[in-house]
Amino acid sequence: MAIENALMAFPMASIWAVTLVLLPLAGVICCFLLPRISRTLGLFTSFANLISVSGLGWQLLEHGSYRHAVGGWGAPLGIELYADGLSLLMLATTAMVGFAISVYSTAYFKPAVGVRFWPIWLCLLTALNTLFLSADIFNLYVTLELMGLSAVALTALTGSKEALNGAMRYLLASLLASLSYLLGVVLLYHSFGSVDISLLTQQMQAPSATLAAATPAVWAALGLMGAGLMLKTAIFPLHFWLPPAHGSAPAPVSALLSALVIKASFYILLRLWFTLFEPLVDGEAINSLLGLLGCAAILWGSVQAIRQTRLKLLIAYSTVAQIGYLFLVFPLASNMGSVAWNAIAYLIISHALAKSAMFLCAGNLLRFGGHDRIADLDRVVQRLPLTAAAFALAGVSIMGIPPSGGFIGKWLLLETAIIQGRWDLVAVIIIGGLLAAVYIFKVIGYTFSPAQITHEAHNVSARMQWSALLLAIGAVLLGFLSLPVLSLLNISDATITSGVGL
Amino acid sequence: MNRNRLLLIVLLPLLLTLAAGLGYAVLSLPEQPQYLQQLVMDNMADSGVSHPVTAVLLNFRAYDTLLEMVVLLLALLAVWSLDMADPQHKTAPSLVLDTLTRLLTPVLILVTAYLLWVGAHAPGGAFQAGSVLAASAVLLSLAGWRLSDKLTALPLRIVLVAGPGVFIILSALSMVLEGQLLKYPVAQAGLFIVILETFATLSIGATLAALFLGVRPGKINKNKDRKHK
Repeated sequence: MAIENALMAFPMASIWAVTLVLLPLAGVICCFLLPRISRTLGLFTSFANLISVSGLGWQLLEHGSYRHAVGGWGAPLGIELYADGLSLLMLATTAMVGFAISVYSTAYFKPAVGVRFWPIWLCLLTALNTLFLSADIFNLYVTLELMGLSAVALTALTGSKEALNGAMRYLLASLLASLSYLLGVVLLYHSFGSVDISLLTQQMQAPSATLAAATPAVWAALGLMGAGLMLKTAIFPLHFWLPPAHGSAPAPVSALLSALVIKASFYILLRLWFTLFEPLVDGEAINSLLGLLGCAAILWGSVQAIRQTRLKLLIAYSTVAQIGYLFLVFPLASNMGSVAWNAIAYLIISHALAKSAMFLCAGNLLRFGGHDRIADLDRVVQRLPLTAAAFALAGVSIMGIPPSGGFIGKWLLLETAIIQGRWDLVAVIIIGGLLAAVYIFKVIGYTFSPAQITHEAHNVSARMQWSALLLAIGAVLLGFLSLPVLSLLNISDATITSGVGL
Repeated sequence: MNRNRLLLIVLLPLLLTLAAGLGYAVLSLPEQPQYLQQLVMDNMADSGVSHPVTAVLLNFRAYDTLLEMVVLLLALLAVWSLDMADPQHKTAPSLVLDTLTRLLTPVLILVTAYLLWVGAHAPGGAFQAGSVLAASAVLLSLAGWRLSDKLTALPLRIVLVAGPGVFIILSALSMVLEGQLLKYPVAQAGLFIVILETFATLSIGATLAALFLGVRPGKINKNKDRKHK
């Protein structure tokens, strides 16, 4: 019965998974060929992408995790696509945030810039979709390349001096990270003769192989791939490229970079760490080191955010801090996986929604007053209430105040830390929340007060305000949806039979 | 200056340690397992070509190649989005360059066709052929030749996306025919690969040449005033 089910499910899930790959690609080509209607094409593609993800999610809920042998060869000869709960959640987050940002961008970009924005954004969407669907470390490298290059191109879009500087730094950091990752792939391929994650995991975890697998080459691969992905994720102290890039890019681009791009490299790190590298790192000092970097990122990023006088830089440093929370999974998950795992998934989604909402708000304020100096926000609460509300709601989730997605994530993380008696981590999580409250309330406070020098106000379109507000509402609503979201996360190889009713 | 030297003194030992560690890791590598090569050889009969590299690039791991084609297009999109002005050379090319270009261009186009065709059973293929094609275009542009304005808009764009475009169309077709992404019908695999490689060659050649120029053709005249902004 189960086999029959799987056979029947096969075409449907394939169609949705393949659509997720080919649809944005076709969008890129069409936007490039027909620049005049690229805005419509881009919006349509991101909407269709949202529908395809829902289709894939429906199939995964019915039939469990899904594998697609591209070219019909199967690993190790060919490449395999793989989707389980975690990839589905990442795809869904990408689709939701991507659609909201697309709606925002239709109003934000002037046609001359928009023509350049849409094809590159769809390239980025392709990269994210293929990355979350990939089960092959070399294929992941290709998607990383695609993602890095499109992210850099989007950062440089305005062509201003700061943007070009930020983009150049970003490009160099991103290339170094990709090459480091690639060298690790080469070493693993040479050691095991395969680039498929599940085959590599089998070889690493085979009881007879555990000792033989820990060769210098495999350790070097772990270091190289880990370092490359950490540089791309911008964990402290490798965050140096993030504030200039995220601070100088156009607002919708900053939102994409902060919400999705850094999560993608973190996703690969998470996958590799808990599959093929697990026998090497389980319970080892290297996990404590990653946790330590996470703590440092939380404290350093928050303090820097408090010190900023420009709104976009404040939000960018807040991202540096929030990435720190994600790295706490490494010391916590090695003892008892599932709760820490759930916490991280929750933090990823709620940060993606809240942070994109914040950057879009910053874009609105920048458009409204022509500047993003925090001290001169000049009573935007009365003059731009939707945007101010969006910022406050997103702030609730970033601070981790109930009810919000950020609260659930931080609560689960805190719970794990307490159960494991890691009081140092407990302290950092709580202090991080307090510091976040300081920088969020600093902004909110200035939105009430009049500025000394008034600026001419420009009109901000309703679309831009509403898309920011809806993202922020989504981040808060996540606080009420923990059961369904976490049940999505648990789609794995174990739930092949259609038992997960929702 | 002093600070740089200090940085060097701190960084140099660290980098040397890293290099030594990597060197040790590479030297200590075990003999590579050969079974994947064997697997490629075993499946060559179904791949549609007889050269293993082409079989891997365009059949076994064609999905990677599809994405790499998009990376190339993206690189061009990124360069064009910077919207730079064209440093136009108004001087006439020297007699040597001019004559050489005239002689070489037909030869290079012939070499392109040969490399494309030979890829099925010997080293060669779309990327090599495309690079040679791009080289001839670069030579032409150095000699002062430019695409006519009529061709710079849609026709050029169609050539640029032909490779990835046809790749996407065949991917969708393979889904319809075989139910799996990029799974070619065994009997037609050779045909699929020749079509893919032909269009890929055109696009790779055009994209590399356009990357060399660095500016969007047809943008030249409009941009002239903005250069001094």
